Amino acid sequence: MSISKYLKVWSIMTFYTAQIALQSRFGAVMFIIGKLLRFSFFLFFLLILGFKTKAIAGYSLWQMIFFFATFNLIDTLAQFFLREVYRFRTYVVNGFLDFILTKPFPPLLRSLFGGSDILDVPLIFISIAFVIIAASHIGQITLFGILIYNLLIFNAFFIALAFHIFVLSVGVLTTEIDNTLFLYRDLTQMGRIPVDVYQEPLRGLITFFIPVGIMITFPAKALMGALSLEGIFISFLIGGLLFYFSLKLWHFALKHYASVSS
Amino acid sequence: MKKYFLVAKNTWDEMLTYRLNFTMWRLRGIISLVSIYFLWLAVIPNNGSVFGYNRSLILTYILGSSLVNSIIVSSRSYIIGDEINQGNLSNFLIRPINYLMYWFAKDLGDKAMNILFSIFELLILFLILRPPFFLQTNISYLIPFFISIFLALFLNFFFNLLLGFIGFWSPEVWAPRFIFFMIESFLAGAYFPLDILPKPIFAVFQLLPFGYSLYFPLKVYLGQLSLTQIYFGLLISIVWVFGLLLIAQFVWTKGLKVYTAWGK
Repeated sequence: MSISKYLKVWSIMTFYTAQIALQSRFGAVMFIIGKLLRFSFFLFFLLILGFKTKAIAGYSLWQMIFFFATFNLIDTLAQFFLREVYRFRTYVVNGFLDFILTKPFPPLLRSLFGGSDILDVPLIFISIAFVIIAASHIGQITLFGILIYNLLIFNAFFIALAFHIFVLSVGVLTTEIDNTLFLYRDLTQMGRIPVDVYQEPLRGLITFFIPVGIMITFPAKALMGALSLEGIFISFLIGGLLFYFSLKLWHFALKHYASVSS
Repeated sequence: MKKYFLVAKNTWDEMLTYRLNFTMWRLRGIISLVSIYFLWLAVIPNNGSVFGYNRSLILTYILGSSLVNSIIVSSRSYIIGDEINQGNLSNFLIRPINYLMYWFAKDLGDKAMNILFSIFELLILFLILRPPFFLQTNISYLIPFFISIFLALFLNFFFNLLLGFIGFWSPEVWAPRFIFFMIESFLAGAYFPLDILPKPIFAVFQLLPFGYSLYFPLKVYLGQLSLTQIYFGLLISIVWVFGLLLIAQFVWTKGLKVYTAWGK
């Protein structure tokens, strides 16, 4: 199957998922408002801190907003594309996964991209707007910085993808997904602020072992010109390795899938 | 009462059914706490203060909010809306059991487990982080602190009930809950102590019930309120508890009249 056909299947599934999401207009509006409120409340919190303290861990208010906007961009992109993972447990428990496995479409792609969440779209645009506004206030931004920022955002998405594949694998092996997935969300939320704020050994742990720092702090730092070449190289290396091992785990999980619910 | 004790006890077993899920859930709490803890640690200088809070007070507020949250916010009654929508409420209506007491017992079971694990987790964090913690020893603050926690527990139970009762009129029970808790956590003071806000905004927040589930108990614990302020706060809490009780009873009665066991 070619990429264009995969994209066509994805767009069809997203279209149907969007129809389901918009079935209750009231619910859809409430969820969007809720997401915007969550964004606004933390931004408000940062503003209050910024006005009173001038600098947090050496970062100015606009830099803090830039880190937060970058976090939101990556987090919302992952949620938009990978929303199907949140529905995966039901598929394992009710046996629907068997149906997915028998279809002539890669089950991993189906389980990851089986319907994007249209309700995340407003926040994606808002995050992009805040990234641009905050970046314009930081200054000293180069074209190279912008290029590396975009590449590292792409790398961050791959790391998010690896985490979601890991969650799917755990789901196949144990049927327990919900809190593992939300644990990932909580871990990435530590990246709402630059990882420099945390003390060692936690800082090292969430930079390299659970690479929240690589996902969120590193791209933002790259744009500010505060990331070394080694840092950029390590980011891509860890992104690639995580993705590779997550695929290995997925294959391992599928081999041990017992299909008990079918 | 024995049957409600058994309901609470069964809630423990339910929560421990999926052990991995349970472990991950506990880890989530620790991560959220550590995240906000280090942010405040970076914000407040060693011997300085911000917003009238020194390091010891703000970190006590943050760590205390984690424990108080585990007592107050944890709940099982969030399922009520789905129970109504799926028609499962019928099973309870024909049983010799008070539906509201049943969910209150489940909530208590949930809270008991949360308290137990939160204390254990906080102790470990204390040993690792060794934060400058403010230990309140004055009994005249500790008694109103426990009373305010007790009242906050009821406040949140009635909020959960009312959100669940939306199921009588609409299948959309999760979206209002999502937005409500987003607003509640902010207005309750989960992000920061509410008194750092501009005075007119803070004055309005003081009349709302949300601050009485987190901010007010913690301020009482920190000993930062006068006796008059404490009595006034407790009075507002009591008014809200009884107000919400009456509203919940009214909505429950109205809801039962429109309940059609649809979905069964």
